[in-house]
Amino acid sequence: MSAGALPGFLGEFLPPDLSIGYLEALARPVMQTLGMAAGGMLIACAVGLPLGLVIATGAAGTRLLYELLAGLRAIPDLTLAILCVVVFGIGPPAGMLALAIFYTAMVGKVFADLFLSAEPGPLEALRTTGASRAQVALFGYIPLKLKDLLTHGCYSFECAVRAAVIVGAVGGGGLGTELVGTLNAFDYHRATTLILILVLIMSLLDKASALIRRAPRLVFLLFPAGAAGLWLYRPDLVAIGHALSAFSSMLPPRLPAAAIARIPRLLGETVATAAGGTALAVVLALPLGLAAARNLAPSALAQAIRLVLETLRGVPEVVWGLVLVSLIGIGPFAGLVALGLHSAGVLGKLYGESFENVRLAPVQAIEATGATRLSVACFALVPLASGPMAVHTLFRLEWNLRAATVLGMIGAGGIGEALYEAQQLFFYREMMAYILITWAIISLSDGLGQRLRQRLGWAEVPALR
Amino acid sequence: MRKSSRRSAILATVGWLAVGIGAEMAPAIAAEDALRVGMVPDAGATQVSIEEKAPLRDYLAKALGRPVALIIPTNYNATVEALGNGSLDFAYLGGLTYVKAHERYGVVPLVQRDSDREFHSLFITAANSPVRTLRDLKGKRFAFGDINSTSGHLMPYAALAESGIDAETDLNYRYTGSHPATAKAVEAGIVDAGAIDESVYKAMLADHKLDAAKLRIFYTTPAFVDYVWVARKDVGQKERDAFTAAFLQLDKAQNGNILAILRGDKFVRATDAEYGDLRKIAQELKLF
Repeated sequence: MSAGALPGFLGEFLPPDLSIGYLEALARPVMQTLGMAAGGMLIACAVGLPLGLVIATGAAGTRLLYELLAGLRAIPDLTLAILCVVVFGIGPPAGMLALAIFYTAMVGKVFADLFLSAEPGPLEALRTTGASRAQVALFGYIPLKLKDLLTHGCYSFECAVRAAVIVGAVGGGGLGTELVGTLNAFDYHRATTLILILVLIMSLLDKASALIRRAPRLVFLLFPAGAAGLWLYRPDLVAIGHALSAFSSMLPPRLPAAAIARIPRLLGETVATAAGGTALAVVLALPLGLAAARNLAPSALAQAIRLVLETLRGVPEVVWGLVLVSLIGIGPFAGLVALGLHSAGVLGKLYGESFENVRLAPVQAIEATGATRLSVACFALVPLASGPMAVHTLFRLEWNLRAATVLGMIGAGGIGEALYEAQQLFFYREMMAYILITWAIISLSDGLGQRLRQRLGWAEVPALR
Repeated sequence: MRKSSRRSAILATVGWLAVGIGAEMAPAIAAEDALRVGMVPDAGATQVSIEEKAPLRDYLAKALGRPVALIIPTNYNATVEALGNGSLDFAYLGGLTYVKAHERYGVVPLVQRDSDREFHSLFITAANSPVRTLRDLKGKRFAFGDINSTSGHLMPYAALAESGIDAETDLNYRYTGSHPATAKAVEAGIVDAGAIDESVYKAMLADHKLDAAKLRIFYTTPAFVDYVWVARKDVGQKERDAFTAAFLQLDKAQNGNILAILRGDKFVRATDAEYGDLRKIAQELKLF
C-alpha cells in the first residue's frame, strides 16, 4: 500500500455511522461485552483475593500455588477464549469463562505480589500480639495495601473490558464480534463508531476507577453488575458432555514434521513483533509521559496529552491490529505498529504517574536551588522514577510477547497465525501443540523478567520468600 | 456541585447497566423455546447483516410455528462447533464445513439451492490488472475468503494446484474471512486478485456494492457441489421435515425477497452422497 493512498483510506473511516438505528443495534453487543467483563472479574476477585492472601501469609504449598497462577497467566486471554469457544460453544458464556480463568490468575498473582511488598513493621507488630494468619490478612495486609489493591483491581477491570472486546473477535459475542464483522466487510464508518464507543467506555471506566479510589466503598456497586453478568452468561450444562469430548479431541498434542520445521521462523516473527512494538512504544511514551505529568507540564497540555494516551490505550492491540492489517496488509509489521500504539498509551500513562508519584523531598531540594522545570525533570524526576518506569517497561515487554502471539491470530504473522489456522481447520491436536509452545515461551519470558527484577533488586515487584 | 455531579454520574452508570441487563434478559427469556438457526458468515457477521435477514427469520418462524433466532457466528469453525455442542439446531454450511460437521457431529443434510449442485468459484482481479490466467498469479498478493470456505478457499486452491501454482510458495496470500471482504480487498487494491463465491459476487454487483467497471473475472472453476442447510443430529424428524418443507415451498413469485436473501431461485433436497468428490479433494489438500 503506497503512502499516497493512506489519506483516502483515513477518509473512509470518517464520519462514523451514528445513526439511531445502528446505535440501537449496538446496545446489545455493548452490554454483552460489559456483562462478560463484570461477571468474569467477579469470579476473578472472589477467587484471586483469597489466593493472593494465602500466598502472602505463607501457608504451606504457596510456592506451588504461586507458580500455578503464574503458569495460568501465561496463556493469553484470546487463546483461552478460542479454547472456551471450542469447548463451551460460541457466545458470551465462553468469553466470560475465558476472562474468569485469565483474570483469576492475573488478580491472584498481582495481589500476592502486592501483599508481599507490604511494610513488614506493622505486620510484625500484629503477629507479636498473637494474631492468627487470617487476622493478619484482614487487619494487616488488606488495610496496608488497600490503595494498591483498588488501583490494580480497577486496572484489571479496565483490562477485562478490553479483553471482553477481544474475545468477541473469536466468537465470544459482544462488540468484538461486531467489529470483526464490520472490518471484514471493510465497513470502516461503522468500525469507527465501534472504536469510538470502546474509547468512550474506557474513559468512563477510568473516571469510575478514580472515583472508587477516592471512595473505596463504591466498589460494591460493581458486584450486582458482576452477578447479573454471571447469571446471564452461565454456561449451559447440557453442553458439558460435548465439552469433555471436545477437550479430549485435543489430546495428545501433535505436530506434523513440516509444521515443526516452521516453528523457529514463526517464533522469530513473534518475538521480533513484540520487541519492535515495545521499542516503538518507549520512544513514543517518554515524551508523552513527561507531557502528561501534572507536576511537570502545564495543566492544559497534560490534559490534552492524557486524552491522546487514553485513546491509544483504550483501543486494544487486537483492534489496532485489525485496523492496521486492513490498512497496510497482513504480516508482522502491522502487529508491531499495533503493539507500539497501544503500549505507548499504557506506558505514557504509567510513566506520567511514575513522575507524579516520586518522593517529594529530593525534588523539592532541587527545586529549592532554583532549577528550571526541565532540570528538575532530568535530575530529580527521571532518576527517581526510573525504577518504576523500568519495571513497567519490562512488564510491558512480557505483556507484548503474549500480545504478539494473539495478534498472529488476526493476520499479523508468527506463531499465533499457525495456532488460529489449526483451530479453524479443526486440527485441534495441532492447535493444542501451538498453545503449549506459546505457553512455554511466555512462561520463559515471565521467568526471565522475574529473575531480572530480583537481581536488580527493584522493591516494587518483590520476590517470593 | 462537585458532589452532586459525581452522584449523578454514578446513577447514570447504574441506570445504564440496568437497562443493558433488561435488554439482555428479555430476549434470553423469550428465546427459551426458539429454534436456533445459524448461518456461516459467508457474507459477513454483523448486527446489520442479521437485521437484513429478518424476513427469512420471520418466514421460518411462521412456517415452523415457533420463534426462530437467527445467529451468524464469527467464523465457519464456530458455526460447526455450535452444531456439535447444541447451541444451534439448524445451520447453513458451505460444502467443506458440511463435510467436516458431518464427520465430527453427524449433522443431517436437508436442502440446498439447485445452483449449489453446480456451483462455481470466480477468480477476480482489477479491470486494468495484467493478470489474465492463473499462472500470472505467481508472486502476487492473493485473497482467499474464510479458510473453511469451499468456494473461497478449497476449490480455488485446488484449481491453482491444477494449473501448477502452489499457493504456499508461489503466492503471498491472506484469508479475508468472507466473500464480500475478498471482493472489497481486490477492488481497493489491497490484493492483486482473489477467489470468490459466484452467487455473492453477482449479488454484490446487482446491489451496487461493487463497482463493476473496476473488476474483471479472469477464471471460473469447474462445477462443484457447495452450500447446504443441515439439522443437528438430535433434532427430531418432525422439525426436520417442517424445515425442509419450508425451503422446498419457496416460490419466486411469492417469496422473492427471501430467495434474494438466500441468493437462489429454487430449493431441492440434499444428500450426503453428493459430497464424495469434495471430501476427496479436501483430503488431498490436507484441509480435512
